[in-house]
Amino acid sequence: MNKNLPDWLNPEPWLGLAFSTADIERAINADSPNEKTLAALLSPQAADYLEPMARRAQAITRRHFGRTISLYTPLYLSNFCNGGCLYCGLAADRRAQRAVLDETQLHRELEAIKKMHFEELVLLTGERMPEADVPYLEKSISIAAEYMANVTIEVFPMSEPEYRTLADAGCTGVTLYQETYNPVVYEHMHRWGDKRDFGNRLDAPDRALRGGMRSVGIGALLGLADPVFDMLCVYRHAKYLLKNYWQAGVSISFPRIRPQMGGFQADFPVDEKMLAQYIFAMRIVLPEIPLVLSTREPRRMRDGLAGVGISKMSIASKTTVGGYSADAEESTEQFEISDERKIPEFCDMLRAKGLEPVFKNWDATYREPAHYEKS
Amino acid sequence: MLNIGDQKLGSRLFLGTGKFSSTRAMIDAVKASGTELVTVALRRFNREQAEDDLYGPLSELKNVRLMPNTSGAMNAKEAIRAALLGRELSKSPFVKLEIHPNPHHLLPDPIETYEAAIELVKQEFLVLPYIPADPVLAKRLEDIGCAAVMPLGAAIGTGKGLSTAEMIRIIIRDANVPVVVDAGLRSPSEAACALEMGCDAVLVNSAIAAAENPAAMGAAFKTGVEAGRMAYNAGLMPTSEVAVASSPLTRFLSTSD
Ligand code: SF4
Repeated sequence: MNKNLPDWLNPEPWLGLAFSTADIERAINADSPNEKTLAALLSPQAADYLEPMARRAQAITRRHFGRTISLYTPLYLSNFCNGGCLYCGLAADRRAQRAVLDETQLHRELEAIKKMHFEELVLLTGERMPEADVPYLEKSISIAAEYMANVTIEVFPMSEPEYRTLADAGCTGVTLYQETYNPVVYEHMHRWGDKRDFGNRLDAPDRALRGGMRSVGIGALLGLADPVFDMLCVYRHAKYLLKNYWQAGVSISFPRIRPQMGGFQADFPVDEKMLAQYIFAMRIVLPEIPLVLSTREPRRMRDGLAGVGISKMSIASKTTVGGYSADAEESTEQFEISDERKIPEFCDMLRAKGLEPVFKNWDATYREPAHYEKS
Repeated sequence: MLNIGDQKLGSRLFLGTGKFSSTRAMIDAVKASGTELVTVALRRFNREQAEDDLYGPLSELKNVRLMPNTSGAMNAKEAIRAALLGRELSKSPFVKLEIHPNPHHLLPDPIETYEAAIELVKQEFLVLPYIPADPVLAKRLEDIGCAAVMPLGAAIGTGKGLSTAEMIRIIIRDANVPVVVDAGLRSPSEAACALEMGCDAVLVNSAIAAAENPAAMGAAFKTGVEAGRMAYNAGLMPTSEVAVASSPLTRFLSTSD
């Protein structure tokens, strides 16, 4: 199964190990955590240790991020897609309402988002399409950068020069989930389209950083394949990026397929306890990395995980194109959001938990493309 | 009184203002700590939204001076830009120069910091650089006109205290500018320890912001810093490998039979 995985990524040696209670207790308190620590914390046996894991995760989060949660919101530029991803409501064979924002609409959306006080924005599209290709993104980024302190993208994989173009336009980061690191499942899930190229996607964070991005966000779509395998791969991928691009920011997200979404049934359903366990585990082994949770998750999960591992969250998300300024939603959304709270209500929740919502944690002064060249 | 350039400060405790659960909690801690110098990140200046802005509420505090910092800068060029912007917004002569190209451990880049310091001194800032605990770098920064040096006690947010104590001792011994331990401190006793060693001040953020009761911890640090400074001034007794007899062993040489 893993013959296509490069050595630096392959988690095979840490899969299927048996862990004693002593191993797990040691892992929770590890001083220098490694792959084995993570494997112990992800193991089914560790499920009995959720409380001590949560306590340690909270202490670490508090030490590194204080009592703050960074907030951002996504903006869907286009939902045109020729992809054939089984799990997605926007796949080319879905009867979706397609739309792409023109400049006027983009300004309108940005004004609406700005009114909500956001200073950090993620721009999204589907796969590469003539309607929303690199020049379109370049233009959209430069417009968004007039409004926002920080603009990043979550779009299709690109070449290094293309990433450079976008970095020059003011884009500081790229989020790109591998979806699953299991090449066999990956092939099955991506029925056609450019996204079928596993390696092209896997290498895209490298290209993005070489192209001048300051940060990359990675993750696996939990539910597609064995989540322990995928979590170990995410960790190894993050470690690889941190080692090779030491100036780069790396963050990890935990998108999860929920059974009720879009009719797709996850083969490896990840329930709430498992998701929490994975987040705590990741926080313990990667104390300094921002861990991100989106509005896909129900509010109870979000409230419980804020500051307990999670340091960054999206809020007030609209997953339709034009969703922020339009009264009627005309396009189809990519997935259903679970936490539909408005900002004041969400911020009140954070404050009640002793956390400060932070809208601006970046300044446009730091928008220059990064350089990672080694001499 | 602590002199930094032409500025006089009554407190030897400097405070970082990020990481608090709310602006209120931050202000309460600042007040309880008795600090007269707080550092605020340019990336947390938010003139668009008062609720999210750290600068506004801080600038209203009496007796507290602001020191914009360049946190977020990956290199000298960005730090200089951030410093200029910070000065424009805050009108403060101070800048906490921090350049940490790795956004995760936030350890300072000595080379870029040195480059930026040269330029910022030229631009007449009071430059307080956050640096590794490197005695040679500290001297080089002093030589080019930095108003103080701020070596780290341990990596930011680790709470590992004065892990770099041996190097800090050398920095203090050699320095002609104030030495401020920045980053890593967890407890008031460690702050006291730094002052006892001869540090001129300490800069604390996480230890107070992440404490169960930040305002109470701010007050505890105030006392710790004061105790440490008093002890330094009082002169600690020397340490010795062997027990020192309280009556001299050589008295017989000066007594007659
Ligand atoms: S996941 Fe992305 S590439 Fe796949 S169908 Fe959906 S929008 Fe297209």
